[in-house]
Amino acid sequence: MRAASLVVLIAVILPFLLGQFWAYQLGLYALYAAAAVGVGLCWGQAGFLPLGQALFFGLAAYLSGLAFVAFQDTPIVAVLILPLGAIAAGLLAYLIGSLVFRRSGESGAYFSMITLALALLAFQIATSWNSVTGGFNGLKGIPGLPGLDDISDVYYVSAAILLAVLAFAGWLYNAPIGVLWRALAQNERRLQLFGFDTNQLKAVAFGISGLMAGVGGAIYAPQQGIVTPQVIGFGLSAELVIWAAVGGRASLFGPVIGTLLVGSLTAQLRDTLPFWEVLMALFFIAIVLVFPRGVAGLAEPLLRRFPPRRRKQAAIVAPGDPAARPPAKLALDDVSVHVGEVTILDQLSVDFEQAGIFCVIGPNGAGKTSMFNAVSGELGAASGKIGLGGVMTSGLAPHRVSALGVARKLQIPSVFADLSIADNLAVALWSGRAGKLALLDPRLRRWTSPMLKELQSRYPFLAAGARKAAELSHGEQQILELAMALLTEPRVLLLDEPCAGLSPEETAAAMEIIRWAQQRLGGAIIIIEHDMSLVKELAQIVYVLHNGALLAKGSVAAIQADPAVRAVYVGGEK
Amino acid sequence: MDPLIVTQAINVLYGVSTLAVLALGLAVIFGLLGVLNIAHGEFVMIGAYCAYVAQAGGWPYLAALPLTLAVCAILGLAVEWIMIRPLYRRPFDTLVATWGLSLLLRKIAEAIFGLGYQSVNIPLPGTVKLLGTEYPIYRLLLIGISLAVVAALVVWYGQSRTGSRIRAMVSNPELAQAQGISVRWLAAGTFVTGTCLAGLGGVMIAPLVPVQPFMGLDYVLRAFFVLIVGGLGSVAGLFSGAAAIGGVDSIISAATNAANGYFAVLVLAILFLWLRPRGIVARG
Repeated sequence: MRAASLVVLIAVILPFLLGQFWAYQLGLYALYAAAAVGVGLCWGQAGFLPLGQALFFGLAAYLSGLAFVAFQDTPIVAVLILPLGAIAAGLLAYLIGSLVFRRSGESGAYFSMITLALALLAFQIATSWNSVTGGFNGLKGIPGLPGLDDISDVYYVSAAILLAVLAFAGWLYNAPIGVLWRALAQNERRLQLFGFDTNQLKAVAFGISGLMAGVGGAIYAPQQGIVTPQVIGFGLSAELVIWAAVGGRASLFGPVIGTLLVGSLTAQLRDTLPFWEVLMALFFIAIVLVFPRGVAGLAEPLLRRFPPRRRKQAAIVAPGDPAARPPAKLALDDVSVHVGEVTILDQLSVDFEQAGIFCVIGPNGAGKTSMFNAVSGELGAASGKIGLGGVMTSGLAPHRVSALGVARKLQIPSVFADLSIADNLAVALWSGRAGKLALLDPRLRRWTSPMLKELQSRYPFLAAGARKAAELSHGEQQILELAMALLTEPRVLLLDEPCAGLSPEETAAAMEIIRWAQQRLGGAIIIIEHDMSLVKELAQIVYVLHNGALLAKGSVAAIQADPAVRAVYVGGEK
Repeated sequence: MDPLIVTQAINVLYGVSTLAVLALGLAVIFGLLGVLNIAHGEFVMIGAYCAYVAQAGGWPYLAALPLTLAVCAILGLAVEWIMIRPLYRRPFDTLVATWGLSLLLRKIAEAIFGLGYQSVNIPLPGTVKLLGTEYPIYRLLLIGISLAVVAALVVWYGQSRTGSRIRAMVSNPELAQAQGISVRWLAAGTFVTGTCLAGLGGVMIAPLVPVQPFMGLDYVLRAFFVLIVGGLGSVAGLFSGAAAIGGVDSIISAATNAANGYFAVLVLAILFLWLRPRGIVARG
């Protein structure tokens, strides 16, 4: 709260300190800053880079400009429909995001290139569609906002808009959706396996960033009185990215600092110093390569000396009880998976009882992890059916399979390294419990559950909320991921070598917790394991995979006596 | 045959074959190193400016070639060393870094040559009679050179020792290193090959397009769309992508206007990303 009132105070007194000329400049750059906050949201939070953000700024500017020209005599009507321009920009961004993210590949490069192309296209349309946009010379003679007389009024409107955008962004970053965006940037696959539709999360982020750019653009038209193709094209898009990067894309205020600092300096120095923009580009590369936190990052050590006072807030017991779902049988029927020429699963038929601990063993390349990938929806089956308690899951996306009550722990510990332990655990708690709108409610970050309390009493490090997951040891990360998988209270839990890399003590503890969890959840726990001593301890039934098919199934003793299994392991006969 | 149709058909062939060369360098770097070099278009721009400089200096047009190759090789080597090598296997970071590079190169060109258009004279003016129509000889020559460049690169990659070393590096860098292949230099060489190909493309098209600092943006996007639509890793993919992008663009642009052609290309690329992300000729 202190920080917020300080920022408002600075915004109010700034024109008195700097004078009319700078008030005018800042009034303009505050609008660009609103768009830059959106770039920071996409890039610094959700981890994808929009290269054509001016598209939304410019679109809203043209729409609002047209409205002000059309309702010249009744400007109040234009003011009332002004938000529509911003909303249109936001909707367009959401639409583009949903279309492109559905199949964009992992790196996000495809998305960036498409946004770049869209901005170039918009520039071309704006320059060539003379009858509507005024062509290269732009849309001229746009009347100003009614009732604003001098430059400081204009500045205060922009500043208020920017502060509103910042408040909105700050709230989002603090809400569960902000946590999910940051989780997504680090480990998209893990988030999908927790049942979150990551493509939609990205599309929403992009839509909101489009809205923020649109808000800036909609005010820009009446403020400047003219809208030219420059505001929709590549140039502004590029600058927004530079400003966000230089200021610090990951922080809330970074993009604003970058825009007001670099943007207004550039406006002054562009003409007097010919190499100013070359310097800025060099500076940008340096920031990307060695100092990704930007100018705002410089302030971090300073801020750490004044930690915000946090009231200790009471935890809230998460609503809903996923464990109330009845246990269900997981069954694979005649499932084949091919990657290229190679057959990975070869008409695999296997079913698991609805409750118990089962181990899957088999030599390397037998298809154990691939079976998990097929069950969790990451690997499409060429033929065959996978069902959970009579519901077909084959063909469903990973987040939908997860929603049916299938949780998974990956072989290499896979947690959200840059998030705190508390946030890692919270993501798991939200899985399957939090509705889409609830993700906007910051109170969800205080969720706990009886299961979490029990886990925290077994593993005290899980209660050390503010520590980053990256600071944990390998063994602790394994436990953290296991705890996260358990917190979703799944009907079927898939564990891929949960004890790999653990010390003997940690292994014993992990085995104990697996048994406890099975009792507690009452469902099925399926474990891929190489260590036969573990298998002997845990497994009620052992499944042996070989060459993508089920070779044998039975008790530990029966499997050990099975000549076919011995042949595979010892390599007797083919 | 109607001379107009013949002209249009050769135009499409010209568009497709030059687009293939412009995409080739990007395909080499993206396909083999997994690095999406957004500054690819700026290397095309450098090639075009080298042609301009050579011509303005009164040198023969062919002098632009060694000049371009030298500039693109030195620059490519430096870039690989400073910003690509530290970021291998971090595709998103290389994307951002090369995007910064593209800004830098544009701004440098702007600071040296200004924002305005420069024009380069066609080194081989005149036309030849072909199937009943007069066609510019330089464009015909470019079609031939484009096909030759692609063919030469493909044969060299498939047949030479270096080609097989690159294939080894692509499929397993650690194992290749263990076999005594210097992966570092091989990767640098591959990157430089890509930038030099871009520069070469720039020299080729310089007389036919306005040469200006922002010209590269358009080419990197088109080249990228060629790779999306065609798919990575094969000549068939390169040419089918170039044919789809170049063909759609020139046909729709000729029928309506350039903005519509561009729009159609964009829609085509989005459709491919969405429905067939591995392109027409998928490999593996």
